[in-house]
Amino acid sequence: MSCKIVYYGPGFSGKTTNIQKIHEQMPGDRKGELTSIKTEGDRTLFFDFMALDLGKVAGMDIRFQIYTVPGQVYYGATRKLVLQGADGIVFVADSSPDRMQANMDSWQDLEHNLAERNLSIRELPVVVQWNKRDLPGALATEEMNRRINLCGAPSFEAIACRGEGVLSTLKCICTLVCRSVSATQLRGRTSSEAELRAAEVRAAAQACPLAAHEMRFVARRANADSVPAAGVPSEPVVLATAVVEREEAPKAPGVVEKRPAAQWCKEQAPAPPKAKRPMGPAAVGSRRKPSRSDRVSVIAVAMLLAAAAGVAVALYLLKVW
Amino acid sequence: MSSDADLKKSRVVYYAEDIEALEHVLDRLLDLSRAKRAMLIDVEGHMVSNRGKGADELNVESISALVAGTFAATKETAKLLGEQEFSVLFHQGEKDSIQLTLIDDRLLLGIIFDDSTTIGMVRLYASETAKTVHEVLSRPHDGESDASSALSEDFSKGAEQSLDDLFRQ
Repeated sequence: MSCKIVYYGPGFSGKTTNIQKIHEQMPGDRKGELTSIKTEGDRTLFFDFMALDLGKVAGMDIRFQIYTVPGQVYYGATRKLVLQGADGIVFVADSSPDRMQANMDSWQDLEHNLAERNLSIRELPVVVQWNKRDLPGALATEEMNRRINLCGAPSFEAIACRGEGVLSTLKCICTLVCRSVSATQLRGRTSSEAELRAAEVRAAAQACPLAAHEMRFVARRANADSVPAAGVPSEPVVLATAVVEREEAPKAPGVVEKRPAAQWCKEQAPAPPKAKRPMGPAAVGSRRKPSRSDRVSVIAVAMLLAAAAGVAVALYLLKVW
Repeated sequence: MSSDADLKKSRVVYYAEDIEALEHVLDRLLDLSRAKRAMLIDVEGHMVSNRGKGADELNVESISALVAGTFAATKETAKLLGEQEFSVLFHQGEKDSIQLTLIDDRLLLGIIFDDSTTIGMVRLYASETAKTVHEVLSRPHDGESDASSALSEDFSKGAEQSLDDLFRQ
């Protein structure tokens, strides 16, 4: 059985660092190679990937496929591709105060991409990681939970560059994913989806060690009347799912865009009309200037082709052919 | 029953007898086309079957993920260009080449071949193999198979115990 875990989050939040630390710390007989498709500047171009072998459980070989996605804003198309088929998500947020907007935008983007596939973030196993806790002025986790963790997912503090909090995050998401798969199989998907997901969240609260404030968010997510007491047998719950971290790329100077998170998925206002340039004698007839949608399509095609080229190179280097 | 039928239809679950049949299909493909290796990969990056010379030496996890990613990227490119999808991809190398063929919107048939055969031969048998794979995966299963495919109730506890052991190392 294979489960897909995706690390999501804004650019430079630490998604790739997470998977690198996971690969460093996992025993050799349990992990596959770490494959990265990235730019020359070491920014994730398509995805990072590694496989983690849990071993045989109840007669089945369990394997986790861990992905990270590119966090830079203009890689939205490729993020959607990697998010496809995710069994669980780890959202890695940057605790820097100046990255709060990026975190919120990334969360909105995640919700939007899931909605396009008729999924809700509340229906998937999700774990949130507050990374870069070592930075001076790092925001309090309570505030970050309030503004970002809108679904009340279990959360962990981390300093990924030191490997702190990385494995606990991964373990939690793996647990939630396994429970979700187990619940889905055992129940035969005949139960109400809402009941199932609520049961998953209740069990998730018992699956992972959480601080008191985190338990409140879990309870809100489940819309339960009360947080289940410790020791209460939990219903099968989806195992933890790694949230993909999306790292938002730092924008170039002079191109800073500040917008409320709610505007992330809305179309931007059309650009103001440019001054007309006098047409020379060679410009016979009308030339249609490429529209914004044409430019977006061209850019998206270029990015996808670049990603495909990167994959082909990676396949070649893997000596597939 | 409905759960297993849905899972089978969505290709989430592959039964043992299906895997055996698919291996026979891939072996026959390799014999007829004189290709080196043949793989069946789920569009979400899971290796279903892997046959041919040196099949055990391949990093199947990474290859599956990369192939699925490649196909997904080109599929989105096709949509932006007004096409439904590109159902066949071909990468040519110095010594070996690889062709990817989409089957039933769920599986990718990857065939690696060298100069000992031709692209036309590979494509001919790839299209026939795609039909055979479709037939194999469309076969109904008896109730015994459906019951055995369900996870045991100990799965969740066993998984958590395994996770504790893994992260304790």
